[in-house]
Amino acid sequence: MTKILLVIERDLRSLMQQKSILLMRWFYAIVQIGIFGLAISRIITVMQNYYTYYAMGVIVMTMYSVAIFTGYEIYDEADLGYTEYLLSIPLTRRELVLGRSLAGGIRSLVFMAPIIAGFMFLIGIVDPLRVGMALVALFGFTFGVSGLSITLAVGLKSGDKFDIIMGALDAFIVRLSSALYPQAFMPKPIAILSTFNPLTYAADLFRWSLNFNIHFLANPVTSLIVLVIFLTTFNVAGVAIYERNLEGASWR
Amino acid sequence: MAIVSIRGLTKRYGENLAVDHLNLDAREGEILGILGPNGAGKSSTLLMLSTIIKPTEGTAEVGGYDIRTDPYKVRELIGIAFQEPKLFWFNTPWQILNWHGKVCGIENPKLAAERMLKELNLWDARNKYANELSGGMKKRVEVAKVMIQRPKVAIVDEPTAQIDVAGKYQIWNMIQKLREEGSTILLATNELGEADRLSDRVAIMYRGRLRILDTPRNLKDSIPGGDVIDLRTQNPIDEGIVEQLKRVPGVVDYTLVKASHLRIYLNRAERILPLIMARLNELGVEIASINMKEPSLDDVFFHYTGEVLEEADEPDSVSS
Repeated sequence: MTKILLVIERDLRSLMQQKSILLMRWFYAIVQIGIFGLAISRIITVMQNYYTYYAMGVIVMTMYSVAIFTGYEIYDEADLGYTEYLLSIPLTRRELVLGRSLAGGIRSLVFMAPIIAGFMFLIGIVDPLRVGMALVALFGFTFGVSGLSITLAVGLKSGDKFDIIMGALDAFIVRLSSALYPQAFMPKPIAILSTFNPLTYAADLFRWSLNFNIHFLANPVTSLIVLVIFLTTFNVAGVAIYERNLEGASWR
Repeated sequence: MAIVSIRGLTKRYGENLAVDHLNLDAREGEILGILGPNGAGKSSTLLMLSTIIKPTEGTAEVGGYDIRTDPYKVRELIGIAFQEPKLFWFNTPWQILNWHGKVCGIENPKLAAERMLKELNLWDARNKYANELSGGMKKRVEVAKVMIQRPKVAIVDEPTAQIDVAGKYQIWNMIQKLREEGSTILLATNELGEADRLSDRVAIMYRGRLRILDTPRNLKDSIPGGDVIDLRTQNPIDEGIVEQLKRVPGVVDYTLVKASHLRIYLNRAERILPLIMARLNELGVEIASINMKEPSLDDVFFHYTGEVLEEADEPDSVSS
């Protein structure tokens, strides 16, 4: 456990060094919520308080985009030869993968903390239990996304392929989910596809935790189960691929 | 007693056979120099021992643990200083050593990091980011990681490549100190002087295979007539004197360069020189000067591979 904490410490430090990227993502989230969200919520009248629904979706989306950083960092490390160092130290591959996935989840929370706190303050959520549940939902999702990102990065072993797949995944995972619009308003095929999307359950569980628009949301128990399956699957896969596929020198 | 035991270790990158059924043992507490040009298979061997890459065939044991079946145990025993320092740009030397110490489970990593940074004259640079450090500083930080770890088996891969003379001495001292503290050291190098200076035994690798393994002294002595004595005399040397000298045991060959200049090829010159001197004295030859030269590891390398080390250099199959 101590070694996992050390991996988390290292990854947290690395995120703090990427200030320009962080500021860019913050700026994006604030603009989306503060400008686009306000404008679009005036158009959408069929749903009560779409603005809050939208803002919550943007928070989860942004956390997703921070959690996938881990995969990109794996490529940076491979380019610098740093992967070999990580593979040479007395850490099991499991500790390395789990540490990095957990760090991905924590980093996303730390990164979005000011925006989440500001948002909760604005909508008047102060119940610690609800705040705690919401954070657990967000953390579970981003923990899984980091595992997914590690699995793909190590499995593909190609920065270009990873870029393409993550770009495509980013486009689909957001649009084929209930992050920005409820399943009830989606065309049937899209609604079906969105039921296979962890982002749907993460966004809905987040909203449910904050007691918002509950009649539009997926069942919270189902959401919780899906998120647990998601994060377990990709972290176990990440460990397996790391152990089987990753060799220092073969990346270069 | 062998602390590292390599058996039939092979690494293939596609068509390229980097390490070819290597068998090699490192004894506990020794500095084993692994000498060879780029592409000889040194780095691949060390990366396999460190469990960073997987062997295609064969295996190795480190401290009794198999690199294939007990890689974690092996990593607990091994510390590696890479040829290219592996320092992530956002880390400072202080953070690097402190974190490395913690991961390796050493006692009081902060104190160890502080001591090491001061010892290496890096204290003033402790809060600089890795990408702001000079090449020599990066290299010293890389070696310092192994120094604070004090592993059972320390692997140092070309530790002084691209380092100035003062830096080389500092790193050599660090390596010797590490051995004095109980580590076995595997030193990969393509610098003959470095291998000669530091190693208890030298393994010459060439094209993925082990060509010869012995002490530097024995390797040099293994070249027939490898030692050379240049003998200059006050009076001309005649055939009779040459015939007498040829009968001294250990003399392999000779060349009469000039009438008063004889070049003698022999083994273990330091032992035979007194005999030669005594014989010349008996023959009444007045000596003007004596110059004795033993073979270098370059001569050894040439003897066993047919190439000089620089000519044998070719791009490595792995860039570590």
